[in-house]
Amino acid sequence: MNAWLAFERDLLDQLPLITDGLYHTLLLAGIVSCTGLMLGIVIFYLSLSKNLLIKRFINGYISFFIGMPLIVLLFLMYYGAPQLGLKSTPFFVAIFGFTLNVAAYNAAYMTTAYNGFDQIEFEAAKALGFNANQIFRCITLPQVLRFSVPALTNQVICNLKDSSVAFLIQYTEFFARIQELAATNFQFFKAYLTAAIVYLLLVSIIVLLARALEKRLVIPGMNAT
Amino acid sequence: MALIQIRELVKKFDDHIVLNKINLDVFDGDIKVIMGASGCGKSTLLRCLNRLEEPSSGTIYFRGKNIMDCDVDIRELRQSIGFVFQQFALFRHLSVLENVTLGLRKLRGMTAAEANEKALFELSRLGMTMHCAKFPGQLSGGQKQRVAIARALAMDPAVVVFDEPTSALDPVMTREVADVINQLHQDAITMICVTHDLQLASQISDKVIFLDKGVIVAEESIQDFSAQHYDEKVRNFFGSGS
Repeated sequence: MNAWLAFERDLLDQLPLITDGLYHTLLLAGIVSCTGLMLGIVIFYLSLSKNLLIKRFINGYISFFIGMPLIVLLFLMYYGAPQLGLKSTPFFVAIFGFTLNVAAYNAAYMTTAYNGFDQIEFEAAKALGFNANQIFRCITLPQVLRFSVPALTNQVICNLKDSSVAFLIQYTEFFARIQELAATNFQFFKAYLTAAIVYLLLVSIIVLLARALEKRLVIPGMNAT
Repeated sequence: MALIQIRELVKKFDDHIVLNKINLDVFDGDIKVIMGASGCGKSTLLRCLNRLEEPSSGTIYFRGKNIMDCDVDIRELRQSIGFVFQQFALFRHLSVLENVTLGLRKLRGMTAAEANEKALFELSRLGMTMHCAKFPGQLSGGQKQRVAIARALAMDPAVVVFDEPTSALDPVMTREVADVINQLHQDAITMICVTHDLQLASQISDKVIFLDKGVIVAEESIQDFSAQHYDEKVRNFFGSGS
């Protein structure tokens, strides 16, 4: 009982720091979800190019960043790059590294959705007189995004969970603060259990929002979103 | 002068000749029905008209201008040729009204109100006004095809081409589409319809062009096409009960 009380006291003492860590977790996950989506759309757009060189480059990009563990990428950028004279803050490295990684996944999800489409709609738009950019903006992208919603929202959940990796490059997010709490009183089980509950709560909120978004974006008359 | 003049049109896919020296004139207000077995080049012929397929040789004049000339604006050409696809090809994420207004807003630069007014006019002509808030997935095949026709007509094309418009429809819906085509013909809209559906052909036109292996074999009254026709290919096609 005393151990729980001691843990509770330390938790309350460090609550401002933990809250600040939580803010940084949400900030990182929120920003990379947006930047990862935007860069993902650009990569997906380029993947539709008829230019073989661009296509190969994009395929290489997706394979490279999906194939490379995120932690390796972050270490390479944070600990490796300074040896080449490229030093940056943990926040910038985290945003940049995550964005490159998340964009590759998002582009892959969009490509999968696109590959399932009947090309006749794009042909109809072409026959109406639309150019390639208009077809992408008005026909391809709205549909690809709708059909990728489950995968894209799962990626947001992954972004939130993976943000804990950023503490390894000195970015003091939520998990880093929990580590500090655990180190204060050596109550590792209680500290990590607290972290698990908070992550679970946050993920549950995202899941609920994602389901609401899926419902909102469902195309009437179609079974899938 | 003919609205469309096709001269010695050849289309090859690698070494395979799909269209072989096609000559055809389409005048304002005409309705041309092109029949033939699957794979005879009917759809390819239509797709060459708006350069969805690039002809291998020959010329196509549209309003007296060769569409293969390098100064031809392909997008403008395509806006002048309404295309109705076999599988309707409606934009499934857009409502019926949005399907019709999209081209007007994005290509013709109309305001939303102007586009809606024009779209509602075309939809009412096709009896689809009450369905304008629905999405393609909520419509029957015949209704989808009506929307596809309204979408093509909304752009005020010089000609509307139908690529097998009833192949995905049952006989009742085929009748519906035939009625729509006849109504458009009465409104003096120029049309080219490709089909292998004899029922549709007989409902919309007196004369039919028969295409076989990329060659125009005959252009005759529909009554003349029968199992007793002088040309063996025609006999085989119509004798098979198509």
